[in-house]
Amino acid sequence: MASRSSALVRPAAFRSVGRSVLLTLPIALWSLVMFTPSLRQAGRDSHIGAVVVMLFMTTLFFLMMRTGETYRWRRIFFVALGFLFPFGFIAALVVQRGTMSIPISRMVSGDTPFCFMVTPSIILPAAFARTIIFPGSILPTASNHASIAIMIGLWFALTLVLGKAWCSYACFFGGIEEGFAAIAKRRRLHRFVTKYGHILRLIPWAILVFVVLVSAAIFEPVYCMWLCPFKAVTEFPAVRNVETAIQMGIFVALFIGLVVVLPFLTKKRTQCGFFCPFGAFQSLFNKIHLFEIRFDREKCVDCALCQTSCPTVALSKESIREGKTLLNCMKCGACVDACKKDAAVWHLKGTPVAVKPERARLLFLYGAWAMATMFGGSILANSVATMLHWLPWK
Amino acid sequence: MRARILAILAYTGAGLTLVVAACVPFFLMGAFSGLVAHAGLHIDATYSGGTIARTIQRNNYRIVVYQPVQPRMLERIEPFVQIVFEPADSLPAHVSDEVDLDGDGRPDVRVSFTVPANASVKLRGDVTALNGKYVSFAHVADESFSRMVVRTGNQIVVRVPLNKDVAGR
Repeated sequence: MASRSSALVRPAAFRSVGRSVLLTLPIALWSLVMFTPSLRQAGRDSHIGAVVVMLFMTTLFFLMMRTGETYRWRRIFFVALGFLFPFGFIAALVVQRGTMSIPISRMVSGDTPFCFMVTPSIILPAAFARTIIFPGSILPTASNHASIAIMIGLWFALTLVLGKAWCSYACFFGGIEEGFAAIAKRRRLHRFVTKYGHILRLIPWAILVFVVLVSAAIFEPVYCMWLCPFKAVTEFPAVRNVETAIQMGIFVALFIGLVVVLPFLTKKRTQCGFFCPFGAFQSLFNKIHLFEIRFDREKCVDCALCQTSCPTVALSKESIREGKTLLNCMKCGACVDACKKDAAVWHLKGTPVAVKPERARLLFLYGAWAMATMFGGSILANSVATMLHWLPWK
Repeated sequence: MRARILAILAYTGAGLTLVVAACVPFFLMGAFSGLVAHAGLHIDATYSGGTIARTIQRNNYRIVVYQPVQPRMLERIEPFVQIVFEPADSLPAHVSDEVDLDGDGRPDVRVSFTVPANASVKLRGDVTALNGKYVSFAHVADESFSRMVVRTGNQIVVRVPLNKDVAGR
């Protein structure tokens, strides 16, 4: 096996093709199992969507094995998910109700699909008043498959496996800003982000506390009603008065600012790192999650390449000195890929640092990629099928 | 020795995480969803309309009257009562109905609306309060969660605001 640093000076390979194929086999098999229901469905578009995504996910995993790089290949999947999810979602809304906006009549009848971003807001009212402050339905209905029970069950099951890595392997919103962050060649505002990173990374926690407490006080999902940038590319309350017009204005402004412009300028996931309360909430699971990124202090030369590459400012000079990431690390692997000295390593808690880091990476990636294929993959397959269905020449 | 035990525990945990991952689509997701579904939770009355108080049967349709919904401490909604006319496809072209909301045998409001032949056409309606407990409105569609006349599937949902001074007593 070649050293990791040689993998970064391409084209040297990290693993042989044969070994990489062998290591990819379980994921190929998993993909086949996950997409068999789609293959059994009637309709050529669904079949093509399933086969394309099956090959896509398997190929990316193979490349992770072959090159030893994680972030580079994960990002391709994640950006595809981020850009194709709204496409499939909006298409479904337009077919179902002719518009992206959700009228009061749909909220009253429980037809709003549940979004996992609301989860922290609903905890206190659910615990103390047994009330869900969301206009959805608890059980799935003919017009709302994304019911509260289904989505919370899915989120919790995925979180058991992924922890905070949800934000880099499952969140269908993060890929949009990761895409915009990837476009620019030059990193702007770098000094500002580095200088004020310690304050910026506290903002999601402040918003989380605000959203949880205010939602419980006024019995409204505050984040969903006022602060979610992704309402601009999914669904939003129909504009029917000044209040809903202001809400719509906030959604669009936050989307343009935090998801398009700032990621483009800073090459960071600014919404995830400096705003998202759900991301802060997921960070709590890093305390119990078994996998983490650590720094081998004997190899580290304090070049700060890892800190610069981190998309969510989850590294500080102090944390690197201690050989750790901060609580908001989402295990995307950017720092490990960027480190030229092999100092940033995957680590399984309870084992010695920098001893068999590739084993830790493999154990993490099998679980993470299996969940990505199951959840994100099915969204991608659905979106590809929708695109094929809408092809102009069909 | 301690390091060895820790490492064994860590690898066991990592192995279990993979087992959990394999169980997610086949078993775990459904199990967790089932737990949420059976946790005795309900949708907030602002959206669901609250609990049903009683049903009034008419010739071809019925009127379902809900319990009044009062805002909690800092909740921004006005207090309201939900009334549902169903099935919408059995309603006459024009509905003008006097409804007893509090079950005292006397009508409290007169609800009138014209049911559009096309279900996708926006509905508008009037409510005339017949006593001081309720608030009248005219030509309302979906102005707010406390004041609406909307079609949801095969139902017409009407929400009548309660007079805050009376409701608060």
